[in-house]
Amino acid sequence: MIIVPYVTGYLSEHYADDDFRTLSAYKAKGGFEGLKKALAMEPEEVVEIMKSAGLRGRGGAGFNAGMKWSFMPKDTDRPKVLVCNGDESEPGSFKDRLIMERGPLQILEGILIAAWAVGASKAFIYIRGEYKEPIRCLEAAVKELYGARLCGENVMGKKGFNIDIVVHSGAGAYICGEETGLLESLEGKKGQPRKKPPFPAQFGAFGLPTTVNNIETFAHAPYILDRGVDWFRGFGTEKSPGTTLYGVSGHVERPGLFELPLGTPLREVIGHAGGVRGGRRLKGVIPGGMSMPILTPNDIDVPMADEFLSERGTHLGTGGVMVMDETTCMVRVACVVSYFFRDESCGQCTQCREGTGWINKICERIEQGRGTQQDMKLLEDVPAMMEGQTICAFADAAAWPIQGLMRHFRDDFEAHIREHKCPYPESFEL
Amino acid sequence: MVTITIDGKEYEVAERRTILQAIDDLGLLMTEVDIPHYCFHPKLAVDGSCRLCQVEVEGLPKLQIACDTPVRDGMIVKTANQRVKDARKGVMELLLINHPLDCPICDQAGECKLQDYSFDYGIESARTQEPRRPAKKNADLGPTIVFDQERCILCRRCVRFCREVPKTGELGVFHRGDESVLELFPGTQLDNPYSMNVADICPVGALTTKDFRFKIRVWFLDDQESVCDQCSNGCNIYASRSNNKVYRYLPRRNDAVNDTWICDHGRMSYKQILENRLTEPGIKGQRDVGYRDAIQEAGRLIREARTSSRRIVGVASPYASNEDLFTFRKLLEALGAGPGTFAVQRGEADDVLIKAEKAPNANGARALGFEESYESVGAADVAIVLGHTTTAEYFRDVANLILIDTHVSSLMDQAAVVLPARVTAEKEGTFTNHANRVQRFLPVVEPKFEAWSDGDLLQQIASASGLGGWDSMYSVHEISKELTESIAAFADLQLGSLDDQGRELS
Ligand SMILES: Cc1cc2nc3c(=O)[nH]c(=O)nc-3n(C[C@H](O)[C@H](O)[C@H](O)COP(=O)(O)O)c2cc1C
Ligand code: SF4
Ligand code: SF4
Ligand code: SF4
Ligand code: FES
Repeated sequence: MIIVPYVTGYLSEHYADDDFRTLSAYKAKGGFEGLKKALAMEPEEVVEIMKSAGLRGRGGAGFNAGMKWSFMPKDTDRPKVLVCNGDESEPGSFKDRLIMERGPLQILEGILIAAWAVGASKAFIYIRGEYKEPIRCLEAAVKELYGARLCGENVMGKKGFNIDIVVHSGAGAYICGEETGLLESLEGKKGQPRKKPPFPAQFGAFGLPTTVNNIETFAHAPYILDRGVDWFRGFGTEKSPGTTLYGVSGHVERPGLFELPLGTPLREVIGHAGGVRGGRRLKGVIPGGMSMPILTPNDIDVPMADEFLSERGTHLGTGGVMVMDETTCMVRVACVVSYFFRDESCGQCTQCREGTGWINKICERIEQGRGTQQDMKLLEDVPAMMEGQTICAFADAAAWPIQGLMRHFRDDFEAHIREHKCPYPESFEL
Repeated sequence: MVTITIDGKEYEVAERRTILQAIDDLGLLMTEVDIPHYCFHPKLAVDGSCRLCQVEVEGLPKLQIACDTPVRDGMIVKTANQRVKDARKGVMELLLINHPLDCPICDQAGECKLQDYSFDYGIESARTQEPRRPAKKNADLGPTIVFDQERCILCRRCVRFCREVPKTGELGVFHRGDESVLELFPGTQLDNPYSMNVADICPVGALTTKDFRFKIRVWFLDDQESVCDQCSNGCNIYASRSNNKVYRYLPRRNDAVNDTWICDHGRMSYKQILENRLTEPGIKGQRDVGYRDAIQEAGRLIREARTSSRRIVGVASPYASNEDLFTFRKLLEALGAGPGTFAVQRGEADDVLIKAEKAPNANGARALGFEESYESVGAADVAIVLGHTTTAEYFRDVANLILIDTHVSSLMDQAAVVLPARVTAEKEGTFTNHANRVQRFLPVVEPKFEAWSDGDLLQQIASASGLGGWDSMYSVHEISKELTESIAAFADLQLGSLDDQGRELS
């Protein structure tokens, strides 16, 4: 089990305590105060508070959660649905897993607050199939809630506030993390993203109005309702308030999760993980999960919030920080990245289905020393053919990292072509 | 209605349609407005996956797929600027990286959208060195269709067709990424009454019919407009012909009748043009008589019956055209024979296209005053019969049967005179379908032996039996004119004025 070295904030403060997962201990630490306060308000007020708190979705796109909640139709007789996205398949991301294992009641309280705010009567927690322990933790927590009448009918004695929570196990595909791919999978179909519009708020799970949020997004909500917007905005930046769990992996001394305010400089985040292993020099950092373009050592002081990262051509994504030291062959990185996306493309859109495979073949050819200048041209052209033209953002996620590597580490590619072999004998093996 | 502007030209289109649907409604898709597309099909649910139909919509930063972007009043669409062209080129290049480049041995060549669009919108030469993904060749999907998996571009038209039209859902795309393949669901076969339509909608040579595959190169064929005569739906078809031979029937779009589909039975009925035909006239079982002799003999029998005031009856066929039936009606009136009867065979029907009445023109017969009857015609000296549906039983008490027929039948042995007639594909005329829609069909081929249309034969017989006013050459257009002038329901439905979509009886 991973235990977080708690740094600062609120989410992971009690994660070292096994009992935090039980209702009594969770309540003793202030649990369900947020829900209590929410239920004393009109749903619209709750949405307004969430909007002004500026909590940005933690699933990758960083959309204002309160804003998303406000998109749910108000004058409708149709049942409304909440979906909690626990598919966490982005390579380099492992924060949702920790929250599910150590703070399942935070997530559930957040779901109940959202259910009150948007008028949902059903919530699905979709968890990737490989996450056996998180599934077990959430199932146990949901059971406890039902026992304590904290979900089901007339929650907390509030007449007419009925909400059922279902824990659903995925079957293992990255694309089931994309919200509409998730909805298809939840409905028992092949996990393939839907074209939008219609958006989930109009036509979501089983055709019903639906809001999808990430595990961590829900987990922040109780604290905002309990402690207030000003308190919440005391963490992080103006545009990205609150903390997040940065997951640091790769060539560092102590990989792990660190709760820090958004906007913490990258150098500091890596510092919490003990810095680059063995005193080696840093070569590159992927700041937010594998689909985000890479940064170079020049960017080491960038504040880790989306508004600053986007100025450098990348994004915060899921906050999965992947550190690479000087031994790293960036063409091998391109091989790993492109293999992943080739394997995980759902295959509907021409550009994504064919482009991911082609890029992977080209990267492998270059790595094997068989690349040509035409391949360099193709590595510029093919990602451009894919970007911004498909049903979901997967094709962008597949194109961007390659574009980032070509932008910052072109020399690595050129060296392979010139020398007809990989010039990094010490790099990780493929 | 809303107004949209495409490449500087304004179009009035219906609301709540997507750009491609709206252009298709106007009949301008790929004729005036070129927006290449693979997964879009006007009669199937929008899929939005091939991404070839991307266009620029003013005010939106990303390119939009025309097949799924709803029209808005004042919308400005650009289909031909460099950005759109580059996007198309990208899609075309990517589609080809896993497609074999062996058009010369592909049966679709000449009517392949991958070939056509590559030419119009693609790149000049391939930039791939990798082998194509391994895939099946010549896979048997069922009794009618062969699948070349390697040519499939995964547009999923066939998948949606099977789910949405026959609702049998045999096909699916399995696996993901560039390992995606079209396959049958395990334990199924592509075997439904409409299965062969998948070959028409497949934009490439992946799905072909066993029947037509490798029979002839399509550039040797030309398509003539016709109507299927196998049931009362009257599906609109093209007959593809070469050297006076029909090689296949294809659906011809008519949104009021058959959308873009036909049933497999109707499609295969082109074989009836050559199979089991009645080729020679006959008199009392003797088959080597001349055409003229047979006509003369029919005339003689009628003349004799008339002089001795013996009964003459007429039995029509629901396979005969409105024009043939009108000629027959006139003849029976001239002979004072009373209204003719007809019988139509019934069979299975569904809620897609197939109708219970297994003939194209029972409603035409009704509209022209023929009475439906499934009984013996009773005692008569002469019965003039347009063949096809009646049985020998009906004519137990008839002394002389004059039979006009297209195919060999049991009635022949019983007939005093037999005259070979033309099938639908060998003549021109109209049918009135189950919904009273009058639809024209044009001559596709010439018979390989002497045969005339029912109307023509009836006119020759009338002339031979000495009736006045029947001596002119038979002209189906003249008859059509007379028909539309004398029968109110057919007013405005003259052959020359009907278009390829037909019109309802008034
Ligand atoms: C290819 C792809 C994979 C995704 N995977 C995940 C995932 O595993 N978990 C997640 O929460 N969001 C994932 N997302 C984002 C979701 O589509 C969605 O935006 C998110 O769940 C919304 O929650 P949030 O607003 O709280 O971030 C993915 C998006 C894409 C395009
Ligand atoms: S972009 Fe890729 S993953 Fe997304 S729908 Fe298209 S093919 Fe599937
Ligand atoms: S077989 Fe033809 S129609 Fe079916 S998915 Fe492939 S290309 Fe499309
Ligand atoms: S449905 Fe009837 S008219 Fe249509 S093709 Fe089949 S047999 Fe012919
Ligand atoms: S035709 Fe529009 S995406 Fe395929």
